[in-house]
Amino acid sequence: MLKFDIQKSFINQHTGTSSELHFKAHIDLSGVCVIFGDSGAGKTTLLRCLIGLEECVGDIQFKQQVWKSKYQKQYVPTEKRRIGVVFQEPRLFPHLNVQQNLQLAVNKASSNTFNIEQLANKLGFSELLAHQTTQLSGGQKQRVAIARALLTDPQLLVMDEPLSSLDQGSKQLLLPFIKEISQQIPILYITHSEQELFYLSRNMLLVNDGQIEASGEPQQLFLNSDLSLIKLAHQGLILSVDVKSYDPDEALIKGCLDGQNLYISAETSPFSEQVQVKINSRDVIVALQPIEGSSLLNCLSAKIVEFAIDTQKAVVLTLQFDSQYLYAYITLRSFNKLQLAVGSQVFAHVKTMSIVN
Amino acid sequence: MLSDGDLQAIWLTLKLAGLTTLLLMIIAPPLAWWLARSQAKIRPLVESLVALPLILPPTVLGFYLLIAFSPNHFLGRWWLSFNEQSLAFSFTGLVIASIVYSLPFVVQPLQSAFVHLDKRYLEVSATLGYGKYERLYKIIFPMLLPSFIIAAALGFAHTIGEFGVVLMIGGNIPGETQVLSIQLFDHVESLQYDQAHQLSLMLLAFSVSLLVVIYGFLQKRQQRILNA
Repeated sequence: MLKFDIQKSFINQHTGTSSELHFKAHIDLSGVCVIFGDSGAGKTTLLRCLIGLEECVGDIQFKQQVWKSKYQKQYVPTEKRRIGVVFQEPRLFPHLNVQQNLQLAVNKASSNTFNIEQLANKLGFSELLAHQTTQLSGGQKQRVAIARALLTDPQLLVMDEPLSSLDQGSKQLLLPFIKEISQQIPILYITHSEQELFYLSRNMLLVNDGQIEASGEPQQLFLNSDLSLIKLAHQGLILSVDVKSYDPDEALIKGCLDGQNLYISAETSPFSEQVQVKINSRDVIVALQPIEGSSLLNCLSAKIVEFAIDTQKAVVLTLQFDSQYLYAYITLRSFNKLQLAVGSQVFAHVKTMSIVN
Repeated sequence: MLSDGDLQAIWLTLKLAGLTTLLLMIIAPPLAWWLARSQAKIRPLVESLVALPLILPPTVLGFYLLIAFSPNHFLGRWWLSFNEQSLAFSFTGLVIASIVYSLPFVVQPLQSAFVHLDKRYLEVSATLGYGKYERLYKIIFPMLLPSFIIAAALGFAHTIGEFGVVLMIGGNIPGETQVLSIQLFDHVESLQYDQAHQLSLMLLAFSVSLLVVIYGFLQKRQQRILNA
């Protein structure tokens, strides 16, 4: 459990105006909790306050430990909070080699849940232990930084956009690893990538304009039209598809979405039994009957549960399958011509979709 | 070859420079850290005082120290209250003067390293569990080791070359205050040019090789670390 109610005010040096951040939340920590929001929303400041690297006013409590208290003048400094931190950039010590960097963390760990060899193997840098950190690539450095944070034997792992500057290969190695580690240690994870959010987490904090706007399941929050998130959500949603089979000749995954068949293009066979696909709202064609004799592969039966007309006179339909949802953008003209309404049964044809993990 | 007097002067000089450097390496790091980080209003004043020996004629510094060491003034009186010998014309007096005189040479390389040190390394150290002071001597100081060596080397070399201050407060007592530069001056005064050549050449070779190591190796190494 992590509970905080903190405030921090900034004075803009140029304009002289002051702005105030106020974060308040109560999080059940299990697995990954993603802190999601636009850049400049205050995500990193929130995290730095929680770690104790930034001054703020208020209360922070982790499990039974009071890290900061406004009235009781209690304060636990960063080094005593036992938080493993992975920053956006690796921040390895340049005068030490990889092994020595990791050893600094081990020296301070209260117990050895992890050891250097095992993590180096798992993260694929065993042959780099004797190397100087300046010789490593960005991806290699960040893997070492993640290992270093874990070797402190933390009670909470905090990651600030750890994958944002990495290549696709490193991301593919690290995302499943982070998910696996979250079974052992709760993780607070900042990102503005929907892919990472949906892959990692069942729990998110939405940060907007210096406040926690909402918290809960990502699937739910992306459907809530009262939130600032809705603009982004309307672009397209991420859905989970169960993999049934893979046909290498046609390079297609045959999958199942809420009981309906779906084909997804994929160069290689998927690694897991479930894939996450992003369907762009503008790539969805809505019809009253299944379209015959076309190149469209995917036709899904759905029900309209909500619609909204935006400023450009386009209509965003919220389509419900069984448990999952999809947004579709259509013109007002089509909406009127098809006489659509809440409750209408329609067929959603999906032109393209992309696998996000 | 070197005379006994020369050897004695060399030994005394090394002893003075060694002891001064040792004491400076205790005093200078906290002072340099404060100068690099503090926002206090008196910081520029303190910084100026530390830098003063860089431009002040050594004889001026020596003159004021001589007066301060005299029994008529507080420092000298206080010293004589538990010592028989006066600070003036003593080895201890030379050590105190050398500390003042060489302080900027030790403080400035350290201060520059501390200023250029990325604050983020301090943050990482804290998240790894290292406390306020522990993170300095276990992580940050080793990281800045080249700068510490440069500081110590410059302090040592500068003390070896000290002349004006020693002349004012040390006099010329063999084995007590007769250091290398004074001995050299004596040789020249008495027209012993061969001996003067020997000592001069030694000092020249020492200084050149030291500076080559500092600028050719240590400083580059430190920059590589700081810019990583």
